[in-house]
Amino acid sequence: MRLIPDQDQRDLAAMCRDVLTAECPTTLARALHTPGGVRVTPGLWKALAEAGVLGLAIEEGLGGSGGGLVDLGVFCVEAGQALCPMVVHSTLNAARAVDWLGSGEARETWLPPLASGSARGTTALWNPRDASVLTPSLRAHEDGGGWRLHGVADFVADADLADLIVVSAEVDGGTLGFVVDVSSPGLSVEPLAMMGGHRAFTVRFDGVLVDDPGRVLGGAGGLGEQELRRVANAAAALLCLDLVGVAEAVLQRTVDYIKMREQFGRPIASFQAAQHLVADMHIALAAARLAAQSAVFWIGRGRTATRETAIAKMRAAAVKKITLDAHQLHGGMGYVLDTDLHLFSERARVLATLGGGADVAAQWLADEMDWEAPR
Amino acid sequence: MDFELDDEQRAWLAEVRRFLEDNVTLALRAEMAEHGLEFQGGELSAFRRKIGERGWFGLNWPPDYGGLGLTVMHQHLLMSEFEYWGVPGPDLTVTSVAPMIMRHGTEQNKKDFLPGIARGEIVCAVGYSEPNAGTDLASLRTRAVRDGDDWVITGSKIWNSGAQRSTHEWLCVRTDPDAPRHRGISVIMVPIDQPGIEIHPLYAWSGYRTNETFFRDVRVPVTNLIGEVNMGWTYITGALDLERGALTNAGDLRRALDDLIALVARPLRDGSVPARDPVFRRRLAQVEADVEVARLMGYEAASMLDCGSIPTVEVSVEKIFTSELRQRIADLAIDLLGPDGLIAHRSPDAPLDGFFERLYRVSPLMRFGGGTNEVLRDVIAQRGHGMPSYGR
Repeated sequence: MRLIPDQDQRDLAAMCRDVLTAECPTTLARALHTPGGVRVTPGLWKALAEAGVLGLAIEEGLGGSGGGLVDLGVFCVEAGQALCPMVVHSTLNAARAVDWLGSGEARETWLPPLASGSARGTTALWNPRDASVLTPSLRAHEDGGGWRLHGVADFVADADLADLIVVSAEVDGGTLGFVVDVSSPGLSVEPLAMMGGHRAFTVRFDGVLVDDPGRVLGGAGGLGEQELRRVANAAAALLCLDLVGVAEAVLQRTVDYIKMREQFGRPIASFQAAQHLVADMHIALAAARLAAQSAVFWIGRGRTATRETAIAKMRAAAVKKITLDAHQLHGGMGYVLDTDLHLFSERARVLATLGGGADVAAQWLADEMDWEAPR
Repeated sequence: MDFELDDEQRAWLAEVRRFLEDNVTLALRAEMAEHGLEFQGGELSAFRRKIGERGWFGLNWPPDYGGLGLTVMHQHLLMSEFEYWGVPGPDLTVTSVAPMIMRHGTEQNKKDFLPGIARGEIVCAVGYSEPNAGTDLASLRTRAVRDGDDWVITGSKIWNSGAQRSTHEWLCVRTDPDAPRHRGISVIMVPIDQPGIEIHPLYAWSGYRTNETFFRDVRVPVTNLIGEVNMGWTYITGALDLERGALTNAGDLRRALDDLIALVARPLRDGSVPARDPVFRRRLAQVEADVEVARLMGYEAASMLDCGSIPTVEVSVEKIFTSELRQRIADLAIDLLGPDGLIAHRSPDAPLDGFFERLYRVSPLMRFGGGTNEVLRDVIAQRGHGMPSYGR
């Protein structure tokens, strides 16, 4: 038990921060948030690939650097601070799904391009309203030597940029995963205009053919509920660390601003009411950080860690309030678009919603608790 | 970072649990139910002796001072477990007073007091607050005047908890009335049986006894002054940081919530079972999450102390978080139990002996005790984020 970052983690954080500071300035984030604005970020993508971020948790033999989920967590905090485009997370999620759910062939085929950045990916493996619901929204039936997929996956992130989507589909007697080429005939992608420039899509599968066994995840028994849940939990817990990064950035901006802003002849940071809002932001952030780090640690150790993930999500939801209190302390100067505070607030509201908010997560935790009367 | 206890820490925890299983006897429980911590020379005194025999009062002190040289994490694990079992373990004398003596005391101070503290023979009441010096502690007025080889002390202390069962006062006094208010303060160890000391009980809402203690021309040898004269403010602000860290393990919260969950899974007087209500389950899940976070905060502070840093901001966060959580648990318990939850502590019909009825009355204490949460929020803003002082 030692809850302070070790030197390797601090070094990794500094490296990620350097890359993001250079390649992901707030101007880029602002452009990404604009409807119809910038969608492709080749400089950032290349820099992240070269820095090894995309393959951070993929084994060395498959083009990665052999790190773990905790290392990805270190990146995610920095990503949240820098408002890094979510396609990075989507691609990391796709790689992790293939890595954890796939056979040797699937992993050897798909992990190297995802680790190197030559392919982008996304996932549709859990219910976007409640990530503990793992019932596939798609159905697959056998057709010749392959499978035909039917159905609709909703709120799929970054489907416009993705080369492949990792989906789950119901088959007779179970669930299988599929690594689907987004350009497959029968697959259509329709954008949803969402808060914060979040790019989500309705993806329709109208008899999409998957006939390459290297694209099928899950053996004879199909995919188990627990392994799918672990994949979903990992994505959720990492988003919690992204939210921690959002909160860190917002708190820093807020403190900087109120130390500078003077009213009644003194910095507003000298008023106790302002200090107490900042203290409450700090406390909520400390709680969110510890809870998220714990969840990522235990999932990285091979556990499903639904309990820890639920706690992480419940506490990470408090980042929304941190951003709204930041608006309060900024007054009008945080409300105008020029200062970019809303970019963080929108990211907080979006990420604290996807896969379920605090109430949904509280239900996950309640379901993990023992309600039997002791004898 | 590592969120898992290592083998050695697990073995330690098992050793602590074995000790508690062997020594928290029905007789000890019965004595504590009847007298709280007040009965002297009985089961509780014997229990304290056994802790002392194992060297556990000084377990994280250096061996040179009679300690076992173990880590703060060992101490944290032990204290959390003692809290979970609801029995007193190392108190402020061990966790706050002794480290300050080690850090700032004279060689004579160390020789005079540390061995006795390690054996559990010296127990201090902490004499900081005065009727007119609470949160604004630096305005304290209790005086110590040098007279030959003695300090002569006159004044009074309030919220002087435990004085009736302590051997010494860890007393904050003004030794230079002309110096700026933070610079004229010293700390003196005062044997409680010195002539001129009078202890008057004050009873709190929870039934807890605290005291107002009066000092009239109380003489103590000059060697009892801790460290250097007029340096006391530096010492006690450091002690308060350590005190907060030690006060805020989540062991008692974990226990309270475990007990509450077990309690609401059983029928109440009208036959209803609160745990069957999904809304109540959701509310319990909220505090479950927060109790786990509080545990992590405790581990984090212990990790930092073991790395040699004083986690001033972190223990302030932890103290605010745990004290407000305790109040929410107490409030939620009565919401869940309804009128059954109002049946008074220690009355025969009360669920769990009225623990939660009492906890509701206990819960205000730690929000203002050990530094009010408002001042600690200032600490987070000012020391954590460099925000300006507003003239405290």
